[in-house]
Amino acid sequence: MIPEDTQTKEQTEMAATGGVPDQTQQDAPESAAHVERKTGHSVEVQGLKAFYGDSEAVHGIDITFAANEVTAIIGPSGCGKSTMVRCINRMHEEIPGAHAEGSIKLDELDVYAPGVDVTAVRRLIGMVFQKPNPFPTMSISDNVAAGLRLTGTKGENLRERVHRALRAVGLWNEVKNRLNEPGLGLSGGQQQRLCIARTIAVEPEVILMVEPCSALDPVATLKIEVLIDELKSRYTIVIVTHNMQQAARVANTTAFMLNGDLVEHGPTNEIFTKPKDERTERYVTGKFG
Amino acid sequence: MSAGKITLDTLPSISGRRRNVDRAMRGLMWAAITIALIPLVLVVYYLIHKGVGQWKGSFFTTDPNGNFFGNHGGIRSALLGSLELIGIASAIAIPVGIGVALYLTEYGKDSAFANAVRYFVDVMTGVPSIVFGLFIYITLVISNVGGSSFAGWKGAVAVTLLMLPIVIRSAEVVLLLVPNSLREAALALGAPRWRVITRVVLPTSLSGLVTGSLLAIARGMGETAPLLFTVSYTMNLTGNPNTLMNSLPVQIYNDIHSPEAAVQARAWGAALTLVALVLILNLIARAFSRRSRMT
Repeated sequence: MIPEDTQTKEQTEMAATGGVPDQTQQDAPESAAHVERKTGHSVEVQGLKAFYGDSEAVHGIDITFAANEVTAIIGPSGCGKSTMVRCINRMHEEIPGAHAEGSIKLDELDVYAPGVDVTAVRRLIGMVFQKPNPFPTMSISDNVAAGLRLTGTKGENLRERVHRALRAVGLWNEVKNRLNEPGLGLSGGQQQRLCIARTIAVEPEVILMVEPCSALDPVATLKIEVLIDELKSRYTIVIVTHNMQQAARVANTTAFMLNGDLVEHGPTNEIFTKPKDERTERYVTGKFG
Repeated sequence: MSAGKITLDTLPSISGRRRNVDRAMRGLMWAAITIALIPLVLVVYYLIHKGVGQWKGSFFTTDPNGNFFGNHGGIRSALLGSLELIGIASAIAIPVGIGVALYLTEYGKDSAFANAVRYFVDVMTGVPSIVFGLFIYITLVISNVGGSSFAGWKGAVAVTLLMLPIVIRSAEVVLLLVPNSLREAALALGAPRWRVITRVVLPTSLSGLVTGSLLAIARGMGETAPLLFTVSYTMNLTGNPNTLMNSLPVQIYNDIHSPEAAVQARAWGAALTLVALVLILNLIARAFSRRSRMT
């Protein structure tokens, strides 16, 4: 099922050559590329329906996100892909009037089961947003520590965990001399990596990314893509993207959504080269959407 | 039109009528500005002209003494009394007001109850201050609540009622300015809502909250009507809020009624002091709001 496809190999080469060579060499022991593999956890979505008020945006979706894999969700604007992903860590219900039905299982845990603490779910399932959103009142290191402090994690090795998260996103060498400066002083791409560091500092099991590169230039995008490829050795990653090349570059499997339905989900190279559904083919070849 | 080149001569010239209308309208606007500025300038002029001479010697260090001859005393009890009253009022109005605003923006949002609260806050904003004084007079003063009739803390409660809607409204506006993406970022990290509020929402909006609170304080400090029949008037300095207290607005009100020219002059000095205090608060508020715009 796991395709050892060309995309992944290209990606690894990119990481070695065009990516972030300085960090990889200097901080070799801590760098994410050398972080020991960790068996992740799969997410199984069953019959998921999502509503905004009375209008149904997602019409009953079944999809499984395999552990330690990157799954890309593609589809035209308004097809419900972001809504679906926001259901996974129960952020969807933060929108006034919105609710979801169905079940989403992280291993054996149904995150929608009654009595489940949403804050505990969100600690297990982290999220990176479209626009980099560091906390404006906090310094670079406080931003990374924010997740730990906000969840009331007590201070043992806080500093070390901050540094480890910054190394893991390849930001350490760029910011190590200005950890106490405001997080907003970084460039857009650095801010987004800071937000990823903030997310992984709380050590989630799954990372959801909602168009994480759509506000970034190609160089910053490449760095994030390299990072995503490294992170999957530890985490299960779901990425929503409008950029089909990005899906082709980073994802093991790709799912195509249309009008609130899941049309097709399969290995990325199959989705892009020989999709089973005609609508998928028309979308990936740019004939609509 | 021929196909010739466009020059200044090919443009139609501005009509004389348009020129005249322009001149007339500019004139009207200048007139409006002048009419608005005359009383403002005169107030400031008289305040400084008549008041600044009073700011000398023992003006800030002695209490009014009620003597008919000789030294009439200064405004110490009024100044300190005003500060104590506004201190008590702020200590209630600011935390409660920000709490209500937090409820409206973080919890109530667009619910029917939250909208009802908003409506009543708006109505409260428009209630004349003397009505709050009257309300406190009926509920707290004539029923001798706390073993006193007129008392400082009762005036402070009246001023609190006056400040509350100002604090709530200004705080709500500022809290709504905190980008939702920050709340989402914090929630997605697994933060409980109260920590999102204390660690993200409040720090992000701090300077705006300070600005709004200072403006409410400035407004509450100058109010006379709610104090007249809740605190009443005494010349003596007292720190006990359960007795009669002096305050700047009421001191001014009383001094103006004196037949003695020197006592009337003291009212000008007290008025200038009051305006100076309000001005200082406004300047601090502006400094804070400028800081918030920079970050």
